[in-house]
Amino acid sequence: MRIKLKKYLALTRAGIIESLQYRIAMFVMVIGNLLYLTLVYFLWKSIYASAGTETVNGMTFSDTLIYLVLATALFNFMEMYTVWEIGRSFQSGKIVLDLIKPMKYHSYLFWSYSGSFVVQFFATFLPTFIIVALLTGGAVPIGMNLLWFVLSVVLAVTINFSIDFIVGTVCLYTESIWGINIMKQVIVLLLSGATIPIAFFPEPFKTITMYLPFQSIYNSPLTLLLNGSPEMSDVGLILGTQLAWCVVTLVISRLFWKVSLKRITVNGG
Amino acid sequence: MKRKGLGFYLRIYVKILAQDIKSKMSYRADFFISTIGMIFTNIAGFITFWILFRSFPSINGWNYYEMLFLYGFSLISLTPVQCLFDNNWSLRSYVYSGDFIKYCFRPINLFFYFQSEVFDIKGLGQLAFGIGTLIFAWVKIGLAFTPLMLLKLIVFLITASLIMIALQNAASATCFWIQNSFYILDLAYRFRDFAKYPVTIFSPVFRFIFTFIVPIAFIAYYPSLVILRPDAVPVLSWLSPAVGVVFFWLSYKFWMYGALKYNGTGS
Repeated sequence: MRIKLKKYLALTRAGIIESLQYRIAMFVMVIGNLLYLTLVYFLWKSIYASAGTETVNGMTFSDTLIYLVLATALFNFMEMYTVWEIGRSFQSGKIVLDLIKPMKYHSYLFWSYSGSFVVQFFATFLPTFIIVALLTGGAVPIGMNLLWFVLSVVLAVTINFSIDFIVGTVCLYTESIWGINIMKQVIVLLLSGATIPIAFFPEPFKTITMYLPFQSIYNSPLTLLLNGSPEMSDVGLILGTQLAWCVVTLVISRLFWKVSLKRITVNGG
Repeated sequence: MKRKGLGFYLRIYVKILAQDIKSKMSYRADFFISTIGMIFTNIAGFITFWILFRSFPSINGWNYYEMLFLYGFSLISLTPVQCLFDNNWSLRSYVYSGDFIKYCFRPINLFFYFQSEVFDIKGLGQLAFGIGTLIFAWVKIGLAFTPLMLLKLIVFLITASLIMIALQNAASATCFWIQNSFYILDLAYRFRDFAKYPVTIFSPVFRFIFTFIVPIAFIAYYPSLVILRPDAVPVLSWLSPAVGVVFFWLSYKFWMYGALKYNGTGS
């Protein structure tokens, strides 16, 4: 067990070192993040000013701001370019080298990104969280909800990774990466509530969204975070749904991969 | 070296373009899927827009159709950068691998040759969406339609598109100094999101930044005013074609400065 964990942590360490190499990239990303925050802030501020009421669809201005800004921060944190990585490995033939590594391809991919998770968490997510918490003057409740949030994010990362993995495997059949990836990104960002909070969706649309796996990625953790005193049954329901999707997407991605692996042909090599 | 004329460059452009389209067509599935992906992006943009305006009748004195006009305008003016200057995204890998040197040995303008090599057809879908939206908003607002207005629209659209091209040129040219310019390009790309909102939603400081430093407001807001609010057109709107040309020229100089000091990777 110890040895097993050790080999994964070696990948995490390599990932951290690699991310720290690109300091300019990191700096630019932080700036980009701040700029985006600015846009979201001013846009929704003027939207709420024009609306004339304090709450719209049950959300105040600070709720919406926290929700959207942290959704962006979560997005930056979770975006692992898995689809690109898998697709490119197929095209270049690098996949063969990854397959003979002494661990499952899933695990290899996931753990090689885990290092950048750690770096991203401290470089983008945490600063954003603090800025937003200060900016909204304590609108983020501090309590048990933080624990639920962290649990929920762990599940969200896994669901996101599995969906990416499924989509990445599709590239084996299509030999198109850009198109497949952009479709996935558009669907996930819209239906997960990352662009507009799901509370704003009109009715039939909203119910449908709640039955899809995507809302488990952004909407679930953010809902848990924003509610300072939730009913235990609500927390249970949200985390339970996430866990269910986590298992379902994981199983599908494994099976799909197993079937697809037989089709891999690498030219030359 | 003798200066080549416009006709010469046009002829070469058509030739290079034909090659590019031929090579793209040999990956039919990829082309097809990419086009669908682009349509997805645009539809999602509309859905977002629609959901937003379901809950709020207006933003900062701009009603639904006026915002739609701005949105359509920005889609059209962002098309040239997508279609004609897409090779900027590959510049960093050419520079990194050393393949960029091949562009330096042709007896034609370096910048022209590099950019002409790729034409991104899927950008045309965005153009269609943009034109559709603009016409729809135009009719709904009840704007008059005269040849003069059409002329104004075309001139302002073309010059507005130069701003985004300039931003992208400058962003991609940074790779001559810092190798990996992906993050800077991505940042510039995200500025597009700012273009479709009236600049008046920002505080004075940011309004200043988005007007004079990173001139995003000239992509749709200022030029649109000429058509949308013809009674009260600010001076900046009339200046927007000049701003487009100046920024494009600056970015071209910056790009060429980087390219000319490039001395390969030695392999």
